[in-house]
Amino acid sequence: MFYEREQWKKPLLVSVGFHGALALGIFLSSLVMNWRSNANDWGMKPGDAITAQLVSASIPIPHAEQSNNIVATENKGMTQTIPQPKTETDDGITIPGKVTPPKKTPKTVTETRVQPPPRPIPTPTETAVPYGEGGPVSGPYGSVTTSSYKGGFSFQDADFGSLYGWYVDAVKRRVQQNWLTYEIDPRIKAPHRAFIEFDIQRDGSPANVHLAQSSGVPSLDQSAIRAIQRIDSFGKLPKGNSVTVEFWFDYPPK
Amino acid sequence: MKKLGAGKMVFIVSWSVLLLCASLVAAAQDRIKIELNMGQERPRIAVPDFKTSTGDPQSAPLNQVFNETLWSDLDNAGIFDMVAKSFYPPLQPSQPGELNAKAWSDPPPNAGVLTFGNLGVNSGKVEVQGWLYDVKNVGAPQILGKQYREDATPDNARLIAHRFADEIIARLGGGINGIAESRIYFVSTRSGAKEIWAMDYDGANQQQMTKMGSVALSPRISPDGSRLAFSGLTKESWQIMMFSTDLGRTVAFPRFSGDNFSPAWSSDGTKIAFSSSMHSGLSEIFIADSSGANARRLSTGKGDVSPVFNPKTNGQIAWVSGRTGLPQIYVMDADGSNVQKMTDQGYAVSPAWSPNGLLLAFSWVRNYGPGVLGGQDIYLMDIASRQIVQLSHDGGRNDFPSWSPDGRHIVFQSNRSGTEQIWSVLADGTHLQQLTRQGRNSQPNWSFK
Repeated sequence: MFYEREQWKKPLLVSVGFHGALALGIFLSSLVMNWRSNANDWGMKPGDAITAQLVSASIPIPHAEQSNNIVATENKGMTQTIPQPKTETDDGITIPGKVTPPKKTPKTVTETRVQPPPRPIPTPTETAVPYGEGGPVSGPYGSVTTSSYKGGFSFQDADFGSLYGWYVDAVKRRVQQNWLTYEIDPRIKAPHRAFIEFDIQRDGSPANVHLAQSSGVPSLDQSAIRAIQRIDSFGKLPKGNSVTVEFWFDYPPK
Repeated sequence: MKKLGAGKMVFIVSWSVLLLCASLVAAAQDRIKIELNMGQERPRIAVPDFKTSTGDPQSAPLNQVFNETLWSDLDNAGIFDMVAKSFYPPLQPSQPGELNAKAWSDPPPNAGVLTFGNLGVNSGKVEVQGWLYDVKNVGAPQILGKQYREDATPDNARLIAHRFADEIIARLGGGINGIAESRIYFVSTRSGAKEIWAMDYDGANQQQMTKMGSVALSPRISPDGSRLAFSGLTKESWQIMMFSTDLGRTVAFPRFSGDNFSPAWSSDGTKIAFSSSMHSGLSEIFIADSSGANARRLSTGKGDVSPVFNPKTNGQIAWVSGRTGLPQIYVMDADGSNVQKMTDQGYAVSPAWSPNGLLLAFSWVRNYGPGVLGGQDIYLMDIASRQIVQLSHDGGRNDFPSWSPDGRHIVFQSNRSGTEQIWSVLADGTHLQQLTRQGRNSQPNWSFK
């Protein structure tokens, strides 16, 4: 008996030690993460900043979204995701420069679009511009994320986003509140993305609401359009006569 | 050996339990993250007290009134996360030059926007300068800068605070204007008879409007705020009456035979719907021009009362009908066609249509009958999906909901405090407030703007 115990002792101790260390490691790491994310942030939330300065706090979320949704978004998703990681890091400085000549970039965009698509989009030039415009092309100004749905948007005038982040934020909130996801066919399982484009006029009313790119699910397209149409006004524009906004709506959220 | 083995077993089991706990902690953390993400939708606003800019003895009390009003207006708006005052940095600005934006945008205040300014009394006039800054946008922080000057009275200090709050809400509310300058009309017994009274949206500044000496009920203010329709008891019968808020007296409105109740304005101010027994002796819904001319019958039920227009389109009317027994909510087109029954259970009265046209608020005894549990509560119905949400829970009889112009608040009558009083609540059920305390007060109606 005594001999038997001697035989088992060593491997058992090794095994227990190993498992113990593993468990301790996992426990400690979760504690550290928990502490880092919650304990001392004083109610700070990711992306809480009103300034939706170009690519701000909400970078990581849209990335995953876009790359995963390439199938749904076709060429648009491609043009977005590829340049994104590079432009992001330095866009804080470079964007103002890039923004001023917006007409240069469309060319490159039309080029890139020519390559991948098997079929052209109905309104090519309009949708192309915001995506080719440097930083904001790939990163949206913000994203809408809740437990029930996700979306994002970009303004064509990049200056507008950095100067009037509070307005952009209010627009985002308003659209989110008015998107009623129960209108969408509940049978959808795979993620779909609808692109809606509209202008905000001087008095804040939305105009020209149209589907820039269909998600392939009519009820999702419809609910996205209605989300905008339900809104009488986003509030007076702080600057300019009109701003073009593109919104995308992802459903179901992952 | 057995002992040792058991000890090891305990050791291993306890470790695996620990491991499980660790994974649970990780899972719970994920869920919290989602909630944080949802919470980020509201701007975090810091509202330090305005500073007095002059040494006039009136400055301090007026400034206190101003600060209290501004804070409660922004808090009541329901669109902000108010940063608690204990988090504020010690140096609070009264001018843009004194602002250290970083101290506000970093934790602990971690504010997204900051409002600050100063108030001073100068030769009988109160002067207020106020700013709204986006403290996280260092490049272009100013959202709003305003200056006000009025006679130095507490009422004016409140008025300026209301105006400034509404300016802030107009900027950050995404196009929905604030309600700080709106009014609530209601029935009160405090003068002896039931008369129509008015107050500010927060319950301040209560004033008597009508002096009928009989009974006045169901006040409905016109969209432009110039006229107040109500049902008044005359010697012969109940009649729709009209009170001019500009002239401060009742003005002419045609009288119909039978009893006439519960007027309702269309949101363009051109039509009035009401309930009348002039046709058959049973109350039915009628619609007339705002002058009372061209009255036409819309419904042919028995016991049809409490019409209300869809304020978004004015193309539909919701009302209460007892045609199938207990009163239920119905909706029809404004020409009387396309009648739909919205509730089919219990005792449902007092419909109120939300300003965006999507929701109906109403008062409902869900399970009606002797010995059945449950009170009379306010419910919201999403008209398109017919989903119903219960808004009030805390007992008593709750009735006569009315929407605020921003569609974020509901005012209603409740006897939860013992007597009938007016209460307001955010449409998500939070921020419950009692607005009246004197006498018995009922049937509130929120102004259109």
